[in-house]
Amino acid sequence: MIEVQHLSKRYGPFTAVDDVSFSVGAGEILGFLGPNGAGKTTTMRIITGYMPASEGTVTVAGHDVFSDAIEAKKRTGYLPETPPLYPDMSVRDYVTFVARIKGVPSREVRGRVDAVMKKTHIADMASRHCGKLSKGYKQRVGLAQALIHNPDVLVLDEPTAGLDPKQIIEARQLITELGGNHTVVLSTHILPEVSQTCSRVVIIARGKVVAVDTPDNLTARLRGSETMYLQVAAPGADVTPALSAIAGITRVKAEAGANGLVAIEVDCEQGRDVRRELAATVVNHGWGLLELRPMRMSLEDIFLSLTTEDAGAPPADAAPAATEAANA
Amino acid sequence: MRNVITIARKELQSYFASPIAYVVIGFFALLFGYFFASLVYWFEQQSLQMTPGSGPPLNINQALIGPVFMNVSVIVLFVMPMITMRTYAEEKRSGTMELLLTSPLTDVQIILGKFLGALGLYAVMLAVTLIHVGVLFIYGSPEWKPIATVYLGLLLMGACFISAGLFISSLTKNQIVAGMVTFAVFLLLWVINWLGQSFGPTGQAVISHLSITEHLDDFARGIIDTKHVIYYLSFIVFGLFLTARSVDSERWRG
Ligand SMILES: Nc1ncnc2c1ncn2[C@@H]1O[C@H](COP(=O)(O)OP(=O)(O)O)[C@@H](O)[C@H]1O
Ligand SMILES: [Mg+2]
Repeated sequence: MIEVQHLSKRYGPFTAVDDVSFSVGAGEILGFLGPNGAGKTTTMRIITGYMPASEGTVTVAGHDVFSDAIEAKKRTGYLPETPPLYPDMSVRDYVTFVARIKGVPSREVRGRVDAVMKKTHIADMASRHCGKLSKGYKQRVGLAQALIHNPDVLVLDEPTAGLDPKQIIEARQLITELGGNHTVVLSTHILPEVSQTCSRVVIIARGKVVAVDTPDNLTARLRGSETMYLQVAAPGADVTPALSAIAGITRVKAEAGANGLVAIEVDCEQGRDVRRELAATVVNHGWGLLELRPMRMSLEDIFLSLTTEDAGAPPADAAPAATEAANA
Repeated sequence: MRNVITIARKELQSYFASPIAYVVIGFFALLFGYFFASLVYWFEQQSLQMTPGSGPPLNINQALIGPVFMNVSVIVLFVMPMITMRTYAEEKRSGTMELLLTSPLTDVQIILGKFLGALGLYAVMLAVTLIHVGVLFIYGSPEWKPIATVYLGLLLMGACFISAGLFISSLTKNQIVAGMVTFAVFLLLWVINWLGQSFGPTGQAVISHLSITEHLDDFARGIIDTKHVIYYLSFIVFGLFLTARSVDSERWRG
């Protein structure tokens, strides 16, 4: 639905977006993740036709956003970082105005406006001036504005920034509902956002794509190996040799805690499920198995390891995987 | 065309939703009323002083309506920056430019919409003076034709100011800056024919051709000279063209 190919954008001598390529399938929700200044807004502004690229092409539903701009724009809804509201207009007038400039046929305008205001829960504010709305309502009116012409593609720039936790949950719900009917690209610099709403993530830093994958795969790929966490009631000294003997296990790190409990991290070869063997070994030794679960690196860790070049931050085993991801 | 009208309606709506429209119209009505009353008074004095039979009676068109409308051009100079200053500057500042530029509209549609919106407010402002003219028709018998042409001339002149004002507004995010610069430029266009006098006859001819208000004289006499119409129209087109260039280059710069 969206094809971004070798996209670059320079502001004078400064390269804000550098050879970015990715594509988004119909009905997919793609997360565009990167720290502030990574080039997310710039990329989205090019996709939506607000500004032209320095190099590269973007097509939306087969229409080039530069050479076939009007057709591409008819199929795109865009919520910029700050909702583009006219403070002196009432919510209803505003949504109606947007419906008209987005090309909704005159006789359908009223119906669409009502439907979208209902969907985004702003009907109760219909006659309120946009300038007098709370942040949460402004954001919803912004979303209504992006949805009004029922576009194939929705581009949302930091849709949950500045909302309170309750509003964030509502916004996520709404976005999740929108996926399926629309192709959604949303940007964020906050991690939990993408793992909860997105089916795929593009991580961008300093204008370059660092990784593209599903949130789950990214986590797994980055580790290179998988780690299990166990809590066992056992004499600390015996545990390490016993577990190391299991085939496929590369490292065991045991730490004795209070009450004779031992917390253990076990690294095993990728793709090899050793949970049965681990459990059997513990039980056969007569120890108590209190906990056994795969330990995943959170997206937060991945994000940090991918986008920080400062020494110390990236885990040793993350670096090769990150390079691999960037090449993918 | 539907898009142009939608934008124009939105512009007009926003003028009347903010104090701008009322300030502009009120200010204009006040100044116009003052000029009108004092010129009517002066006209009355002149008429009364004339001894019957000493010559043709004073022509109400030439002696009253002409001068009144020349004064309008001065008032326009002051109020027009208030009408045009926010057209682009405010959209850029508030981020609504992102909405317009990512909607399936062409730059020309947006510019024409804004132009017509401002022209609409200006026309409403001029319409206020129809009341005064109506009074003249009740108590005197002016010719209607020079009055119609003077309105045409004023519309064209105002449209020139609007196209220049749109361009200046498109250069900045700050509507106050836009307003000040616009006023300075209008003032220059207005006084440029005084300047001309120090440049000798050819200099004066060239410069008075550039002056926006100079072209209004013939309209006030009831003459529609294509020379002046072409001057005004090309000024308008040039202003709108510069606006289009400015919006486009802003887009490339980002
Ligand atoms: N109009 C502009 N002119 C110059 N530099 C810009 C402009 N817009 C953005 N930048 C720079 O480009 C980089 C990327 O910005 P942006 O796309 O807004 O990042 P993000 O949305 O990921 O925070 C930043 O370093 C920013 O300072
Ligand atoms: Mg941004």
